[in-house]
Amino acid sequence: MSKLIASRAIRGAHKLVARAENELQQAIKEKGTQEKVEFPNTGYYLPISYGILGLQIDTLGGLTELLEEAKILLPQIPEDSLWLPYLGHTLDAGMATLFADEIIEAIKYTSNPLPYLTAPNPSESQLWLGAANDVIMRERGIEFVDGTAPGFAACVGYCPTNEIAVKIARELQEKNLYVFMSAETEGKSMAQQLREEGIQMGWETRLVPFGNDVTATIHALGFATRVALSFGGAQPGDFQRVLRYNKNRVFAFVLALGPVDDEKHAQAAGAINYGFPTIADTDIDQILPTGICTYEHVVSPVSHDKIVAKAIEVRGLKISITKVPIPVPFGPAFQGERVRKDDMYVELAGQPNPGFEFLAIKSLDEVEDGKIEVVGPEIDDLDEGVQIPLAIWVDVAGRQMQPDFEPILERQIHDFINCANGVFHMGQRDINWARISKEAKAKGFKFRHFGSIIHAKLHGEFGKIVDKVQVKIYTREKEILELIDLARKVYHERDARLADMTDESVDTFYSCTLCQSFAPNHVCVITPERSGLCGAYNWLDGKAAYQINPTGPNQPIKKGIPIDERKGQWEDINTFVYNSSHKTLERFNAYSMIEDPMTSCGCFECISCILPSTNGIMVVYRDYAGMTPSGMKFSTLAGTVGGGVQTPGFIGHSKHYIGSKKFISHEGGAMRIVWMNRNLKEELEPILREIGKQNGIEDLCDRIADDTLATTEEEVLEFITKKNHPALSMDPLF
Amino acid sequence: MRTIAISGKGGTGKTTLAALIIRWLSENRSRSILAVDADSNVNLNDILGVKIRDTVGAIREEMKKSVDNLPAGMTKQQFLEYKIQTSLVETRNFDLIAMGRPEGPGCYCYANNLLRDILKTLGENYDYVVIDNEAGMEHLSRRTTQAIDYLLSVSDASPRGIQTAGRISKTLEELDTRVRRRFLILNRAPENLTETVMGAIQQEELHLLAVIPEDAALLKMDRDGMPVYNISANSPAYQAVNEFMNKLDL
Repeated sequence: MSKLIASRAIRGAHKLVARAENELQQAIKEKGTQEKVEFPNTGYYLPISYGILGLQIDTLGGLTELLEEAKILLPQIPEDSLWLPYLGHTLDAGMATLFADEIIEAIKYTSNPLPYLTAPNPSESQLWLGAANDVIMRERGIEFVDGTAPGFAACVGYCPTNEIAVKIARELQEKNLYVFMSAETEGKSMAQQLREEGIQMGWETRLVPFGNDVTATIHALGFATRVALSFGGAQPGDFQRVLRYNKNRVFAFVLALGPVDDEKHAQAAGAINYGFPTIADTDIDQILPTGICTYEHVVSPVSHDKIVAKAIEVRGLKISITKVPIPVPFGPAFQGERVRKDDMYVELAGQPNPGFEFLAIKSLDEVEDGKIEVVGPEIDDLDEGVQIPLAIWVDVAGRQMQPDFEPILERQIHDFINCANGVFHMGQRDINWARISKEAKAKGFKFRHFGSIIHAKLHGEFGKIVDKVQVKIYTREKEILELIDLARKVYHERDARLADMTDESVDTFYSCTLCQSFAPNHVCVITPERSGLCGAYNWLDGKAAYQINPTGPNQPIKKGIPIDERKGQWEDINTFVYNSSHKTLERFNAYSMIEDPMTSCGCFECISCILPSTNGIMVVYRDYAGMTPSGMKFSTLAGTVGGGVQTPGFIGHSKHYIGSKKFISHEGGAMRIVWMNRNLKEELEPILREIGKQNGIEDLCDRIADDTLATTEEEVLEFITKKNHPALSMDPLF
Repeated sequence: MRTIAISGKGGTGKTTLAALIIRWLSENRSRSILAVDADSNVNLNDILGVKIRDTVGAIREEMKKSVDNLPAGMTKQQFLEYKIQTSLVETRNFDLIAMGRPEGPGCYCYANNLLRDILKTLGENYDYVVIDNEAGMEHLSRRTTQAIDYLLSVSDASPRGIQTAGRISKTLEELDTRVRRRFLILNRAPENLTETVMGAIQQEELHLLAVIPEDAALLKMDRDGMPVYNISANSPAYQAVNEFMNKLDL
């Protein structure tokens, strides 16, 4: 953190505390210590001193105690020669500043005439309103709690032109933020600029001019403090709670407009205590590390056209959109809706035309939130019944975004669009397809509304990770064909990443009890490296099925504490399996076939069983009708593994699973296979060869026996001994 | 949404009847009709005069076979849904989907589970769903079809045919499939029904809804391989259909 900025804040604090001392001495001399001191019609004494310190000050004399507190907090002004002031000192200086502010403002209220108008709105003659009274506090404070007003912008200083001042004010109002204005810079202030433009101000418009003195900034923070006391359940003096409540619930920030002198630096430091960052339009030093504020503390310089957006981003303010701004009804009830050919106005992509849907994560600077563009014809430019291509390109940015979220968010496009009444959407990626009904078009539905839907829903459902969304909708083939290859490249990359997903990388597996009508005590546990036995279900399918039908046959199971990671046993999974197998199965090992292997229903594609004398296993595919070296045919073997029965040394599984790294990994995996029926061996040859290679054996397949080479266990042993099968030199199976 | 299922032994003329029912609905009620060919011997489309590109059965088999080669990034549910939606044949008067071949060896729990949901959602988009079922009504027993408003069992005018229809009807009861009303239709029947026939109907506890006469024009179209859907409205068969459809609450 820069010494310069800290020094300025500390110097500013010193100046203000000195001023407070002066003015207090003066006031006491003139009016005596018993002179009453209060903000009119408020029951909070003086909010900062009451909320932060628990002091109940109502006389000039009482203010001296507050002054003492300020002095205690004031750190030394940093010397050129030595140390770097820590953030802590700066924060203390900030707090001292707030105390000084309060003293100075309280004294103002003892003057006659009052420098402020005690009314909710400015009048012709008096612009400045001073502290809010309790009625306003109750009415408006609650808005910070229920989210009607997410927070406020404390604007100090003035803008280069009146026009800019109005623009910023309007932008803030659109976000439902209060605009608290105070402090002149070079004799000018934003509130005056708005007045010059004839802009109506007052609590009703949420544009509130507190005062032209820099110390009037205290009324913004005083308000925040009172909100914490009234609605946050904070006790007076419990400053931690007051400050933390504001950091987490009141989304306020300081906009430092124009040159920022030492005193304003000090105010900013005070605000930082509350978790309120400062965004400046001039180049003052920045404080970028996070800590007290959720994100950065001081950011500058920011141009006026971006300053509101930047402030919102730095404060971590989430714009919540509850209603989707489209002219047709929207909701999950419309998801299964199909638009018949007869009823459609336009058909997009699908089989006749190219198309794709793509979501990319970009940096916060690269995305303009809410920007929606249609490149190509809009629906009004087209005749009824026309078929055109469609590409939807979504750029998102967010502080908490991670690359793995891209496909998850992209997959949502389908569900979101389907919720619109009269709009049908199928597929994803480069096999997308949509239809808009004549009725929807008549109501005013346009292609750009795809963007409105995606923007609103991504913010609404993924607000935690999504901060900004912009959407481009392409309806012209030229641009679509130019971009489709880029999109496909990324799809490929993502799939490659997925293929490498391991059991260790997730904390949740999925169960499948679809087969329980045949095998009541069986439950499959599907992991990224182990698909369902039938071969149909993989981990993603289980996850998707659960999301679609949370009370269906697929449930998430958290791994919890591992009991033995090599064998693949987890405590919470055992508990789950125990309960869903109707208390028949107490535990199982996902990666072992010798000890507590996983059960099956009856539909497994293959059965593996040990051939003890070979130190290996055999695998037989269900279509093979002949005798196996185990002395049992497939149908007999099935009795040992089907129906939810757990027999050590036997498991049923899918063909696909043999290629998984986790296939009986506890026992050494596919390297143990000494016999397979020929068709299966041929089919899996490439996979087995690869596994062999990874273990330093080029010709693994040639060392595995099959039904044309051996039919009994003795013959298998003879064969593999001749071929020097690796299983012979592996650890004993049991 | 109303569902009408037509079932019967092969050769009783149920597919023809299904087509005429669809025709009647599109002319008298609404054109929002989903025709479902649930007979593995796919021929409803021929009688309706349209070509089909794909069947649900074939899609299901494709998915099972290429389980490792499905379009990436798509769950099987999404894949099935996409393929089924694209396989739908759309015409001015109705949409058609064919169930196609029955299951082969192996595990169908998962695939059928998905199909059930997809087909149910699809059906809800239409005012009418007309299902041409085979005699065994596998789809009803596997629950790949949903609840039914009217089950019309078709038989010829012979006691044995009626007994078969009766047996099927009873099987349905055992399956606990939700069928609101059951009716018997005698197809290609003479004007006067014999006592034996009437007796059989009573014995099987069936409700006779209609008797459809032999229709020469229809026979000719059939023999010529023409879509019976386009038969003249004056034909006796269509007139009979018109009569009984008016009796139903549709």
